[in-house]
Parts: sequence; C-alpha cells; structure tokens
Amino acid sequence: MTGPNAQAPPSRYRIAVDIGGTFTDAVLRRGDGFVRSDKRLTTHGDLLEGFFAAVDGVLAKAGIAPAEVDDTIVHATTVVTNAVVTRSGPSTALLVTEGFRDVLHIRDEHRYDMFDPQIEYAAPLVPRERTFGVNERIFADGNVYKAVEAAEVDTLAGKLRDANVESVAVCLLNAYVNGENERRVRGLLAERLPEMHVSLSSEVAPQIREYPRAATTVLNAYTQPIVAPYLRRLSEALEERGFSTAPLIMMSNGGVLGAGTAGRFPVRMVESGPAAGALAASHLAERVALDRLLSFDMGGTTAKACLIEERRPTVTGQFEVDRVYRFKAGSGFPILIPAIDMIEIGAGGGSIAAVDGLGLLKVGPDSAGSEPGPACYGRGGAAPTVTDADLVLGLLDADRFLGGDLPLDLGAAERALQGLAGQLGVSRIDAARGVFGVVGESMAAAARAHATDRGLDYRGLPVLAFGGAGPVHACFVAELLDGDTVIYPPLASVLSAFGALITPLRYDLARGTAGPVDWDRAGTAMAEMEEEARAAMTAAGCPPRGMRFSHGADMRYVGQQNEVTVAFDGNPVASRDEAALREAFETAYETAYGLRLSDLAIEAVAWRVSGHGPDVAGDTEPMTAAAPGRAKGKRPVHVRAEDEAVPVYDRAALSAGQELAGPAIIEERETTIFVMAGWHAEVRDDGCIVARRDG
Amino acid sequence: MDGIALEILWSNLIGAVSEQARALQRIAFSPVVREAGDLACALLDREGRMIAQAVTGTPGHINTLAAAGAHFVETFPPDGLAEGDVLVTNDPWLSAGHFFDITVLTPVFRKGRVIGFFGSTIHHTDIGGYGVGAGARDVHEEGLWIPRAKLYEAGEPNALLHDIIRHNVRTPDEVMGDLAAQVSSGRVGAERLKVLCDRHGLDDIDELADEIISRSERAARASIRGLEGGTYRGESRFDIPGGAEIVLKCALTVDAEAGDILVDFAGSSEASPHGVNVVLNYTHAYSAFAIRSTLDPELPNNHGSLKPIRVTAPEGSIVNAKYPSPVAARHVVGMYVPMPILKALHAVTPDRVVAEGAGAVWTMQIQGRDERGEPFTSAMFNYSGGMGARRAKPGLGATCYPTGVAAVPVEVLEAAMPIEFTRKELLDGSGGAGRAPGGDGQAIGFRMRTRDPWFLNAVPSRLSAPAEGLEGGGAGRPGRFLVNGEPSARANKMTMAAGDEVLLETPGGGGFGAAE
Repeated sequence: MTGPNAQAPPSRYRIAVDIGGTFTDAVLRRGDGFVRSDKRLTTHGDLLEGFFAAVDGVLAKAGIAPAEVDDTIVHATTVVTNAVVTRSGPSTALLVTEGFRDVLHIRDEHRYDMFDPQIEYAAPLVPRERTFGVNERIFADGNVYKAVEAAEVDTLAGKLRDANVESVAVCLLNAYVNGENERRVRGLLAERLPEMHVSLSSEVAPQIREYPRAATTVLNAYTQPIVAPYLRRLSEALEERGFSTAPLIMMSNGGVLGAGTAGRFPVRMVESGPAAGALAASHLAERVALDRLLSFDMGGTTAKACLIEERRPTVTGQFEVDRVYRFKAGSGFPILIPAIDMIEIGAGGGSIAAVDGLGLLKVGPDSAGSEPGPACYGRGGAAPTVTDADLVLGLLDADRFLGGDLPLDLGAAERALQGLAGQLGVSRIDAARGVFGVVGESMAAAARAHATDRGLDYRGLPVLAFGGAGPVHACFVAELLDGDTVIYPPLASVLSAFGALITPLRYDLARGTAGPVDWDRAGTAMAEMEEEARAAMTAAGCPPRGMRFSHGADMRYVGQQNEVTVAFDGNPVASRDEAALREAFETAYETAYGLRLSDLAIEAVAWRVSGHGPDVAGDTEPMTAAAPGRAKGKRPVHVRAEDEAVPVYDRAALSAGQELAGPAIIEERETTIFVMAGWHAEVRDDGCIVARRDG
Repeated sequence: MDGIALEILWSNLIGAVSEQARALQRIAFSPVVREAGDLACALLDREGRMIAQAVTGTPGHINTLAAAGAHFVETFPPDGLAEGDVLVTNDPWLSAGHFFDITVLTPVFRKGRVIGFFGSTIHHTDIGGYGVGAGARDVHEEGLWIPRAKLYEAGEPNALLHDIIRHNVRTPDEVMGDLAAQVSSGRVGAERLKVLCDRHGLDDIDELADEIISRSERAARASIRGLEGGTYRGESRFDIPGGAEIVLKCALTVDAEAGDILVDFAGSSEASPHGVNVVLNYTHAYSAFAIRSTLDPELPNNHGSLKPIRVTAPEGSIVNAKYPSPVAARHVVGMYVPMPILKALHAVTPDRVVAEGAGAVWTMQIQGRDERGEPFTSAMFNYSGGMGARRAKPGLGATCYPTGVAAVPVEVLEAAMPIEFTRKELLDGSGGAGRAPGGDGQAIGFRMRTRDPWFLNAVPSRLSAPAEGLEGGGAGRPGRFLVNGEPSARANKMTMAAGDEVLLETPGGGGFGAAE
C-alpha cells in the first residue's frame, strides 16, 4: 500500500466513491488528468452493491482492471447518518457518573421554540433503561476524587449482557479534563466482555459540557457496530476483487483517514459527502485563482453552502443531526466533532411556496421531496414548488429535464402557481417571480448571517454553483451578495465524489483543559495528540516525510462562557511563549468580535492538534468541444418583467474560450445554468464556466 | 406593498435583529445570557413600536422590551438624539420588572434622522443590593436603580454613569463587559439596517413598519375572531418561598367582533412583603405570551400582534405592584401568570392549551470563598420542573413553559466555582397521570467544596400547591427543597455550613385527560 502523493506519476489511478441518499457516484482520475465518472442508484439493502456497480462502471469506461488502480480508493458514505435517522443501530448502552442517568433526556432543558408549545425532540439513541450509573468522580481540576471499582463493573457487565448490549458509550463527568476513570471502565469491561464495542467520551469528544459530549459519544457507540464491519467488508471486498490498495474514508472535517481510525470514530463520518463537496470547492477556488468563495449546492429539499476562505473551507466544532420537528434547530442532537462548517437552508427545488398568516409569500421549509415531488413531476403533487416556478418562468425545459428521462408537466406547474397567485392577488408570472426572488433572498440571508457570525465579510463573494437547482439560482444569489462572479464547475453532478478524490489526509484532535495555562500539561497533551495523529496517518499509508502538524486552542477571556477556536502560526505551547499565545487569541477574537479586552486574563479550554498529509493533485483534462457551439434554439424567459427570448446552449457543445452574453441558458443533463441579463459567461480550458457581471 | 416585496424586506429585518442577538450572545460574559439564552433583542421603529424580535430569549424580556420603547421615546424624542447616543435603563416599572435586567437602546440614523432603534435586554450577573432572591424589604434594598439615561452621548461614554455602575455592582468586569456587548451588538444591528436601506433604496422604514405592524395586528385579530365571544375564567394557586400561597384569578373576555382580548386579574392576591412582586409591564408580557403562543405561535411577535391584547390588574395586587414593593424575584410569580389564562382559554380552544406545569424555573445563586479563601459570587443558574401535558402529547420533562431558558451545564458550573453536583435526574412519576401525562420534575443535589460558611439565594416555588391537570388529568407532584434532608425553603438568603447538602426536587406538570 502506498500513500497519496502530489507528485504522482501520470499513469497512477485513483478512484473515489460517494454514496448519497439517492445516488452512488464514482470518479476515476489518472495522474495526467484523465477523468471518468459513473452514477448509479444507491442500493440501500447493501450499500456495497451500488459501490461496486459504480466502480465497475468507471473501470470499464477507463478500460482498466482493478489491479491497475495503484493509488488509492477514497470512500464517502451516508451510512452513519442513515443509521441514526432510521434508528437501525444495535442495542446500545450509556454509562454515566452515578446520579446523572438522564443526561440525554433532560438535554439542556431548553425549549428551542419559545412560542410553540407543541414542539418535540429526537428520541435519544439510548433509552433510560439502558443508561447505568457508575460510582466514581473526577472534579473540574482533573483530580480523581473517587476511582472506579472492579466489583461495580462486574455487576454492570452482567446488566449489559442481560440487555444484549452490543456497544457501550461511557461519558463520565469532567472526563474532558481527565479520562482516567473512563479508561479504567473500558479496561475492566474488556476483561469481562471482550466482544463489546466501547466508546469513551474522553476520546470521542473530550470537551466541556456533559450533554453534547454524551450525545456525541452515544452516536459513536450506536453506529460503530454497523460501520466497523461495513468498512471491514469493504476492505475485504476490494482485496477479493483484485484491488491492491486499502480504502481511505472521507471524514466530516474535510480530510481522509484509514478505515481503522474511521471505524473507531464513525461519528466523524457524519455528513462527509457534503464535506467532500466543500473540498472540491476549495480545489476549484485554487484553479480559478480565487482566495475565497461561497460554495452553493442546491438540491431537492435543502441547499448547502460553505464559505471557502484562503482556499480552505471553514471548519466548526459542533453541529446538529436528526432535526425531527419541522427541520428546526434544537430538535435534533448536538454533535461535537470537527466538521466543515455548512449552512443548511431548508429551501431546494422541492420546497413548497405558501402564503402565511400575514399575507407574505414564504418558501419552505416544507418540501414536496421527490415523492410526490413538485406539481410538474406529475406524481400527484399539487403544491407549488421552486421547481414549478422555475418551469413557469421558462428556466427549465419540460422535455429535457434529466436529459428527458423525467418529462415535466407545465400545465400542472401553472395550475399550482395560479392558486398561489390568487392568494397574493398578483399574476401567475409575478407569483413565480416572487418564488424565485424569495428563495434567492433566503439563501443570501443565510449566507450573510453565517458569514457575519464568523466575522467574515460576505460582500462580493464569488459563488460556486452546483446541485440540481444551484446553477439556476446562483446568478441572482450572487447579485444579492454584491458579488460579480459565478463559477459552474465541470463534473458538477459528481462533485462530492470528485472532492473525495482530491481530499488529503487530515486528522483533528482536541483535548479539554481548565484553569490557568499549565505549560507542562499542555505540552504533554499536544505531544500525545501529535503521536495519535502520526499513528493514524501512518496507518493510512502516509510516509513520515509527507506529514505536517498544526496547532491551536479553544480560548476565551476568563469569565466568558464561549470560546474562540484559535489556529496558531507556530506552536506557542512548545516555546512556552505567553505573549505569542495571547496575541494569537486576541487576533482571532478581534476578527470574530471586533474588539480586544487587553486588561482581562485569558484561558484555554481545549488544545488542538491537526495532522495533515500531502496535497493531492486534481487538475483534469479539458472537457470542452473542439469548435464553438451555436445556440440550439431560443425560449421565452420571464424572470424580468419583460418576456425575453433567451438563447439555449448545450454545455457539451461549448468550446474553450467561448463567450456568451446573458441572458443565456446552458443545459446539461442534471442541471440548467441561467446566466442573467447583465452577465456574460466564458468557458475555460478545463471546462469551468465562469460568469461575470458586466461593467 | 405586495406580499412578495414585503416578505423580502421583512426577512431582511429579521436577519438584522438575529445578527444583533447572535453578536450579543457570543460576546456576553453572563452565563445566563450565553448558556441559557436569557436575552431579548428587537428592532423598534422611530416611535418606539417593536417591529421585529430575534428568535431567542424569554417572553418576559421580549414583550417588556416592546413596552420600554415607548417609555424611552417619551423621555428622549428621536429628533433630540445625536448620532452615537445610546440609551439605558433598568427601571422595573418601565422595562423588565427588576434591576438585574438592563435595557439598552441604540438609535439608527439615516440622513441625520432617527429611523429606528435596536434594543436589547439582558439579565446581568449582579446589580448590587440584596442579590438574586426575594429577601429585600423594598425595591431600594435590591440594588442600583438606573433611570432612563444616556449611556453614550454622541459616541462618548457617559463617564459618571459608567463609574456609578462599576462601583455599585459586585462583579464590575462582567457587568461592564456585558453592557459593552449590548452597545456593540446594537451597532451590528444598525449597520445591517443601513445596508438594507441602501440595497432597497429606502430613506426610512416608516412605511415598512406600518405595513408589518398593521398586517400583524389584522392577523392577530382574525385569530381572536375565530373564538367564541364571552368571558372565561381561570384560577391558579401556587406557593412561593416562605410558604405563602398565591392565587391568580383572571377573567378573560373575548370580543369576537373587535377581535381583541381583555385579561382582568381582579381577585388575585395582594402584593407580597417579599421580592416576588410583578409590575404590570411584566404581567402583560406573560399574559400576551400565553395567548399568542396558544392562538397563533407562527405569527411574528411585535407591536401589531400584541396590540389586541389588553391586561388590567388591581393596583397594589401581586401582578400590578407599586413602588416601593420589592421585585427582584418577580419571575417566580410572573411565570405563573399564563396558568390561569390557559385554563380560561381551555373553554374556547381546548386542543391548543397546555395544562398547568411546574411554573417558574428555580433560580440559584451562591456566594462564598473557594478553597484558597478567595471570595466568589456565582452567576444565577436555574432548573426547570415538568411542563404541563398538551392535549395530544405528554408534557416535556425538566423543561419550562412559559419560559424556555436552558440550564447551565453541570460541568460549566463545576469549572466556575467550587461546587460539586451529586445528582441531576428525572423524578419518575412526578408528572401528573393522564391520557397525556404531565412532564416529570427532576432532582438536583449539590454541596460546596469549601471550608467556610456560604450563602445560598434559592428561589423554589410550588412546594405545596401542585400543578393541576385538565379534563380529568392528574396533578403533578409538588416540589421539595431540602437541606441535609430537611425541608427548608425560606424567602431570605440562607447562611449555609461548609458541609451542607442541598437537594432540589422540582415539581411535575399536570396531566391532560383521565388516565386509561
């Protein structure tokens, strides 16, 4: 097995497979930029069926045998999210400090929607009867006040056996500072129940706040018995088929890791498909020489956006899964893992437009989904959706949707919009324009809020558009963000798989701490984390000379309750440089909040180390026609007040260097690009289309 | 303005207020702001009418901030303000009902004219005086009274006022830090509003405000018109620290023609000698909240949707307290205000009401010395009992209605002071039985890791009068407040011995419908 290498010889083959909710996509790239892709339906019964169907597809297109794939196979999968949403995990238990058995059920006591007395919460993955107390105690300063006794674990092991528990999460109070008692529980359990999967909060998410840490550890424990064997089966199946390379797994933080580490921490695979999309966006930013952009992936039920800063996606330490009550924030579980910082907006092609109690036009969060889908799908949906509005406005071609595989019913879309128009007292076209406008505004509003939350300026952000509905709406969203550039990448329909293909190794670790900075303990924590990262990257095939480590901390002013994640330039902990530590924190604080409070003491609540592997090349051969393509026709578009006869092009027929003036429509199988009036588009050598605002 | 253009402007206004709130929550020092979300942010028009609020906070803060706007504008007419002015008060009768809550208002200027205000109210860590709790004998013992004043004048800090505040609180760094956070979050909102006006070519937001407020009012009246007209009565009983039983009676009159509701609290208990009294502003806030969250929770909460709801209460009653009644722990009674209203509404809209619940969150504050002998004053922290059952769904355990504040995590408290929690678990069966059972209360145990005596300001309630069920549902179990195993709820700050063990058992909520 060999590791990824940016200087790979031109003959080397690398494959990535992304299993999403509907499709399984595979992309193959040869070292010289030769690329092939394949798309299959996801096989929910056995995900590996679809995996190998797609792999066989790209191998056939490339005309090579499995043994010739001599670089790596990268895999992104929804298996973790699916297990949680469908509650298909095995019997799982939670061990907590005695007296705190209801940590998952009491949550943080917060009612997330103050005005709605009918709210509900996602059911915890572990029921109360499988939550057990352990007589032990560690205080916030890390001192063990009461150690774990073997006799008690004996009793607990019996209870776990009686309840047919396959996997255990251990989350003891203050284990974020000291995991000693948790490790002792694991050691004692291993002697008694050697087959048991055990997840420790001090390893899965060693951060302060018992509820989110417990929820994260439980999710890890709940999915581990599914994911670990799945990854083992994958490795074995690859070997059986003659592949010579072990798989790498796409993680939520926008890095890949070996199957062994991924199997230990499956919670870190949540939402790794969208993370791969964000990595693709970073790569494209580099390709078109932009430092920052907004990746904008609008699909059927939601839109996902991510800020790329300095050609890297922004990363967060917490997000939420399984929002059960009207997609509302707070109705799911908090998960403490390093993850690409996604904005998820409940507005996609299937989002339903309706008039609310005030007479205002709202779009989403209710969605027609894919069943029955928008009215124009002709599958019994009657409610007007974004896709219906796009069709009525002339942005979509009823006969060529999904390459003609799904003919759209214009009459049904018109009837659906007519009802909405009646409620608003406007024409049908105005109602459709309203839906187009409101959905664009809600995307822009979400992006603005997300950016300002992080102390980033959204004004003028270039937009990278993909997903089925993204390229239809991106120009308008860019205008609302005062932007003048939209990029439509090639391989847009398999962009997440392409992102996984070019994702380098990365492993992020954090260790909780408390009180004033203790250089000895901090240094030890940093060194231990570096060692752990080095081991994980070595296991994933990374040669020592390809490794790089970066350091950081979660810091705040003493007395504050909220931390800022600080990335260090060097490592002030190794050099014990208090002034540099303070400067790094205050710079980050000022970026986020616009001020420094230089007379206050500072403290760290967590230390962070990230290991990085070498970059992976991702340039692709030209994907353009030899000669400039002509418009295949014109059709009326009603986005502006006047009817415009807009020329329609096939993307595949456009040649490198070709320029088009807006308004123009460029069709491909899975999406439609709408270049608005006042914009012009140019086709780059590599197949990217870049639209720029005139003037 | 049609429903499309208005939606676009409206969603942008909400965006501006939400940004203000997020900025405030992020930079706040006070744990109840940061961890529990105990704050309110709102955009008011130039007349002081609330147009939009952030989706956070408590009813008590938001709806009193709406009322405070008019009081500020009365003293500081917008045309007399200068760019860079920032207004402040913590007057209980003009804003949120006790000194801890400081309201800050930032005027937004465009072309030299005030076009609106960004307001925020947060619960500060300290305000001098007695501290958290109901033990003061009059309002002056409860701390520093800041009248309506300018915190900044034309961009310059009001140095004397800053100095006075700094010298009158126990935690000056936190209080001054949180005040600065309020000021800077107001600036964030103001900047966003200016950008919005630029983008949409607006000189002011007067027309927008009128449109939003009048549409909200029309919609609120329409939902009231959906009820059968008449006067409906509700009565709730509960006990407060010190043991006194309080009765809240309300007569709720639905005028189905005009589409308005009058709530009259005649017959309710007299003001208490303890600091649990509620000013009318706050009573109105919780009354309006109970009605709005029952009838149309989706409707925006603003001047327009609040207008059709009127509230009266006899002067000097516990829900219309007069100077100099002490008010520091006014939330204790305030959070029960919705209960009789929901019982009255049960007669006309039984599907949407919630049965009586635990009521107020139990608040705690601790002062003492740590193991090195250094003095500390904790921020206030709080715990919920069970929520009453919904008609078709059980009540939520350890979750408060009407307020929705989060509890500060055990680990955060243990890292901040020498406290050791021994227990935090649901109390099985404490919620009332029923077709839909009431939410369970919880047991919380703690002791201090100190060699010195320490002070506990605890404000439990419903230790004897239980939360009643609806339609034959059972009552919830009352709470217990135990020190070393003995019941010991008192209205005053308690002096505790080093090894004392405290156990809180919060009450369960009432059930809905007879159990099968």
